[in-house]
Amino acid sequence: MAVTIDGSASVTINSGAVLGITSAPAQASTSGVSIDFTSIPSWVKRITVMFSGVSLNSTGAFLIQLGDSGGVETSGYDATFIIGSNTSSNTVTASVAGFPFYSGTNTFSVSGSMIITNITGNTWVEQGVFNNSVTTPFVTSTAGTKTLSATLDRVRITTTTGTDTFDAGSVNILYEG
Amino acid sequence: MTHRIVVNVETGVTTQVEYTAEEQAAHDAAVAAQQAEAAAAEAQALADAAAPAPNEAQ
Repeated sequence: MAVTIDGSASVTINSGAVLGITSAPAQASTSGVSIDFTSIPSWVKRITVMFSGVSLNSTGAFLIQLGDSGGVETSGYDATFIIGSNTSSNTVTASVAGFPFYSGTNTFSVSGSMIITNITGNTWVEQGVFNNSVTTPFVTSTAGTKTLSATLDRVRITTTTGTDTFDAGSVNILYEG
Repeated sequence: MTHRIVVNVETGVTTQVEYTAEEQAAHDAAVAAQQAEAAAAEAQALADAAAPAPNEAQ
């Protein structure tokens, strides 16, 4: 097996996999209805989706969707999220359209991360925790699973309505084999 | 126009992709439907608030 140590804090083996964690370029989530991270390598086994102070112009929940060479898959998910807050604790919401989590109102800004892990084949499982800590604190937890029709190569960050627009914060992903 | 952001993690290139006319029409229709639903819910809430309580009606 050929091993290359290139001096840039990463090691590449001849299957193309990079040992260690790779960061995509962070994106300002200040416009648009979705943010897609594409061309994710086929050897990736774990993806971390990160939010920092992300806000929407409305009240749709956030939604993370996976995709492959056929595009982003918008059905077939088995996922739920729960809200813990002073006013709506234990509210549970399910989704078959993606991995969801609470966004609050348009004045909220949400931070946290979701870990999406390849359990076998094209089946992925996720867990995530996010919060809003401004005037109305809440924490939202999410978990779920999705089997893609082919090898994962993209992740979409969007909303349950599909029409809400991002208006603050930043997002990014980390990926590793 | 509505748009999406696409980040190619292999190249690091970020692109803003504008909706096609067809996507924009679907987006606008969905927003209009959401607004109509919200307006109907608000109207119903106002009607409920204005209606006399059962004891008051007797």
